[in-house]
Amino acid sequence: MNIVTELALIFGVCLIGIGIASLLPFMVPYSVISLLVLTLLLYRKILRPEQIKDAGVFFIRNMGIFFVPAVVGTMEYVETLTNYLVPFLVITLVTTPLVYFIAGWSVQLCLKLRRKKGAAHA
Amino acid sequence: MPEAFTRTPFFALTLIFICWVLGVKLQKKTGWLLCNPVLTSSLMIVVILTVTGIPLKHFNVGGSMITMLLGPATAVLALNIYQQRKVLQENFLPVLVGCTAGSLGSIAAALALCHLFQTNSVFSASMLPKSVTTAIALGISENGGGIPGITAGAVVITGIEGAVLAPFLSKLFHITDPVAEGVAIGACSHAVGTSKALEIGKIQGAMSSISLCVCGIITTGLALFFM
Repeated sequence: MNIVTELALIFGVCLIGIGIASLLPFMVPYSVISLLVLTLLLYRKILRPEQIKDAGVFFIRNMGIFFVPAVVGTMEYVETLTNYLVPFLVITLVTTPLVYFIAGWSVQLCLKLRRKKGAAHA
Repeated sequence: MPEAFTRTPFFALTLIFICWVLGVKLQKKTGWLLCNPVLTSSLMIVVILTVTGIPLKHFNVGGSMITMLLGPATAVLALNIYQQRKVLQENFLPVLVGCTAGSLGSIAAALALCHLFQTNSVFSASMLPKSVTTAIALGISENGGGIPGITAGAVVITGIEGAVLAPFLSKLFHITDPVAEGVAIGACSHAVGTSKALEIGKIQGAMSSISLCVCGIITTGLALFFM
């Protein structure tokens, strides 16, 4: 597929996402809505994966680069951050492993429970 | 440096691309977890801007173009989800349970620690949405009267931390199932973590994309009750 056509499709989905986001009574970013819209379009076979493949793979492979300006932008808030340095660092560093543990194990427990149930039925 | 030179978008675009390529090379060469290219390339740019005294405003002329593309880059994660639709269908409920538990855990832990440190409500509101992707987190923080800078900083550090520590945390906590690993990465470290999950495996990448989305929505809802 032509890369320009691919980009037109992907940007078009983002436009739809922005439109839906502006209609919602609460704040959900358009990127998340666009992800849902594109997933739906693929599931309903309105779009085929091949139609956005090259541009899509480019975006996904280089995803990290799109965060760089936002990270650089935090240098503006160094002063605010240093005022709250200890709670800021403790909260950020402690909760991440905790959430990893909670989310990972709740999935694993669900899967185990289901396997047990499946075994009991069989 | 002459203003005409730094004020064009090409300045930031060139800088970002060069530093990114260097950051990726550095990670390949060292193989070191902390050499996450998002972290190293951002640090390079911060150092360059600070040393040369080029204002952040000039950098943002080109930088905002890259940030704009974060939207489409997130949207195309749908390709990974679609590719793994069978795995998702088989594990839909566990994924949903994992995202809900993760989002609740993240908010509860952030609030409990804020209480422990006796921080003010502005700071708590800024820290509450730290596990979701930047765009959502900033919206939640603003709604609750938080400071966007603190939220952005916490989101970024959380994301990089999750991306860097993911393989280690899986081993430490014995999270062996690829679906569980993907959900854990997406729930705790949003899109930055997802970029790492994609490297770990296809299932991890797809499940992380899903949970980044689901956790974002759940956290938006939960935040309405907590603030």
